[in-house]
Amino acid sequence: MANDVIITASGKRRTQVDDIDRSLYDFRYEDADAERLEAGLTPDIVREISERKDEPEWMLEHRLRSLEVFNSIAMSDWGPSIEGLDMDNIVTYVKPNTDQKSDWESVPDNIKDTFDRLGIPQAERSYLAGVGAQYDSELVYHSMQESASKMGIVYSGIEEALHGEYAELIREKFMTLIPPTDHKFAALHGAVWSGGSFVYVPRGVKLDFPLQSYFRLNAKGAGQFEHTLIIVEDDADLHFIEGCSAPKYNVANLHAGAVELFIGKRAHLRYSTIENWSKNMYNLNTKRARCDEEGEIEWISGSFGSHVGYLYPMSILAGRKARASFTGITFAGRGQNLDTGCKVVLAAPDTAASVETKGISKDGGIQTFRSSVVATPAASGSKCTVSCQSLMLDDRSRSDTIPAMDIRCKNVDIGHEATIGRIGDDKVFYLMSRGMSEEEARAMIVNGFAEPISKELPLEYAVEMNNLIKLEMEGAIG
Amino acid sequence: MMGTQAQTFERASAMPAATWRFLGANDAQIEIPAGLSIQAGVKAEGNVRAGGADALDRALADAQAAWEAAHPAPTAAEEAERAAYLAAEADATYGGTALSAYQSGADALEGARSLAKAFEHGVGNEVAAYLRDVAGDCLLVKAENGQAASAEVVVEAASQAISVAAIDVVAEQGSTVDLSIVVDGPGAQPAGIAGTTVRIFAGEGARVNVARTQTLGEGHADIDDMALFAAEGAHIGVRQTVLGASKSFTGLAGDLRGDFAHVSIDTRYLGMGDQERDFNYALRHHGRKTESVMQANGVLAGESSKTLRGTIDLVRGCKGAEGSENETVLLVDEGVHNKTVPVILCNEDDVAGNHGATIGHIRNEQLFYLASRGLSQAAAEAMFASAIVEQAALDADTSAARSAVVRLGERVAPGFAGLFEEEVG
Repeated sequence: MANDVIITASGKRRTQVDDIDRSLYDFRYEDADAERLEAGLTPDIVREISERKDEPEWMLEHRLRSLEVFNSIAMSDWGPSIEGLDMDNIVTYVKPNTDQKSDWESVPDNIKDTFDRLGIPQAERSYLAGVGAQYDSELVYHSMQESASKMGIVYSGIEEALHGEYAELIREKFMTLIPPTDHKFAALHGAVWSGGSFVYVPRGVKLDFPLQSYFRLNAKGAGQFEHTLIIVEDDADLHFIEGCSAPKYNVANLHAGAVELFIGKRAHLRYSTIENWSKNMYNLNTKRARCDEEGEIEWISGSFGSHVGYLYPMSILAGRKARASFTGITFAGRGQNLDTGCKVVLAAPDTAASVETKGISKDGGIQTFRSSVVATPAASGSKCTVSCQSLMLDDRSRSDTIPAMDIRCKNVDIGHEATIGRIGDDKVFYLMSRGMSEEEARAMIVNGFAEPISKELPLEYAVEMNNLIKLEMEGAIG
Repeated sequence: MMGTQAQTFERASAMPAATWRFLGANDAQIEIPAGLSIQAGVKAEGNVRAGGADALDRALADAQAAWEAAHPAPTAAEEAERAAYLAAEADATYGGTALSAYQSGADALEGARSLAKAFEHGVGNEVAAYLRDVAGDCLLVKAENGQAASAEVVVEAASQAISVAAIDVVAEQGSTVDLSIVVDGPGAQPAGIAGTTVRIFAGEGARVNVARTQTLGEGHADIDDMALFAAEGAHIGVRQTVLGASKSFTGLAGDLRGDFAHVSIDTRYLGMGDQERDFNYALRHHGRKTESVMQANGVLAGESSKTLRGTIDLVRGCKGAEGSENETVLLVDEGVHNKTVPVILCNEDDVAGNHGATIGHIRNEQLFYLASRGLSQAAAEAMFASAIVEQAALDADTSAARSAVVRLGERVAPGFAGLFEEEVG
């Protein structure tokens, strides 16, 4: 990514911070061999998806109920417009020309090449305990190291798990944190979900290396609706990484996945995500975690791609002394309207949550931080702090902050702070007085702005983000 | 109007940019019961007169002409250039940026270049129009160029009645206006409504100070509506003290149109029993180096509830503007319900916007200190609650306001009046 110096109408020199270099992601293969269902959303399409997957009857009923809900509830009216998304033109199911494999060599060349270029097999060899790779609507590769298997950890496709020994457990948990009635796209997900991962970490098991799922949406005009269900039993520990990308097309693509995380007593889960979809994507994803007593969820979230994004991971602290932290960064460039943030529910005594987010908008992009903190009457002794900072890199962009706090308990401590602005001249002046050039000073400030988030990201994603915010700047940013 | 018709304003006091509906915090519902008599319970003293309702509209029209002269509309060539730019953007960015309803509305409002359209009411234009209709004659407080004016308006509530004052304030260039408003009602009463709708025009370099004190009894609802316009270098200060009424709706919207305009809002409130408090603030910065400060402090006790929506809108072009809002809420009892939504909307990079909120109970170290002085937790909580009333009495700038506060203090904490014996009449 290069940064250019441009001269504004007023003659002012300012650095143009480029968008992410998307050439890494903007490649695609024809999907001539893939099986595509008709575009649109009908009960017949839903039945056909279920039939192809040979699902149990209860799942078909769930899908059909969800479809009814989808048809009965209205689109939300508070976020970015989704008028450009015509469900009649979205293909909800595209099956790649392969079944799921457990070794990369068996994966068809075009798909293997895709994941090679994204660095997934290399990452698996380097530091991951297991990998799942989804291409359009189906998992095409799934593998886990033997050592993790021996610990009793289950990491498989969720559809595969629906036919195995965890079928009843999945039935018990599936879409209970995200019921189809929650919002229109949760209902859509309930009707047409396909692919995704199931992870089960037994009591007391701590996995030292992360598991990773990568979701690639290759097909033009398609939707991806993967479902991720993770159960971390009492005293267990897991780090799960999720990556997403897609090539760009001139028609809308849709991502409406769902992530449900169940964290047992004293268990810990770190869930890291980089959403890096193409800029024709409507990313309407839903993620929720429930923590039992002294359980902990850590969200690390980066939102960079998409034309429109709605993403608010939710933490429900249901057990005494449960904890949650959310660390997120959103970068909105030209043509993007990314509405991101998080939700926290303090529903038990002595719970604690912290939220720290950074937002950067440039080149006419819009980023909105939206959050809710709800403390129920049961939350006595709980604490929550929310900190949100937004940086505007020019005067054509937009940055909004819309937090909400709903407190129904006396003995709580809730704090919120937010700032919006550009790089302060006083800070640049201070650093220049210490011998830096103006460019170096501004570079250091932007770098420092993002650093609390990037240091929490997996290494390769941190490098990617640092490339994104390249700091060879001259003149003024903003 | 012979008496009120039943009427419900579904989305009153709506904040400009909505959030999740499940929170129930985007707006308020104001109900007007049927059969309330329209009461002329308004007393006014000082530099105030009835009539002259068009003085503010004329001042706004003059401001429009001056603003247009300083901010000429785009030429046809510039419009064409912009249209071409937007078309290119749409081609390059998959149809252009997908704006939210609020973002589209904000663009349309700015595109209209109308100060009258941007002159919005805090409780919503529909509710404000209703209040003005009920109030009948509008009171005018006007200060000519470089002059000073002061006025005191008292709205007295009555049983089964609605009492409303409509007040326009026009402070011409370099003038000063001080306005005190008291909305008071003696003790518990069957359902009734009292309120005010106030429009303020602060001309170039003018200073306007408004203090509104509400001490209604149980059974009454209060509707407090304000709309502000601040020209270049104007300062508007508003202090709102909300102590009584079963339900209160406080709404204020302001347009900081002129460069260096300044608006500060100081809100103090107390919620007890099952009282409901609703606040909606929206300040739009248009002028360069404008400044806004919103400060709210309150105590919620019993099973009272409160929602505060505060929006700072930093509109493109308001370079150098600064907006800040801060709220501190003390929760005294288990049954309270507090909602706070502090919003910053920002479409300009050369600005500073910040907000903060602290919601919680008395800190342990404070309780420990007070316990070491012989105060139990319950006594400490009562002390914090009565401190709000006491401060209101101390800050009251007219004898009518202070008497009303002291009377209310005596109702909620017997013996309170002893602190202000000389004021009890």
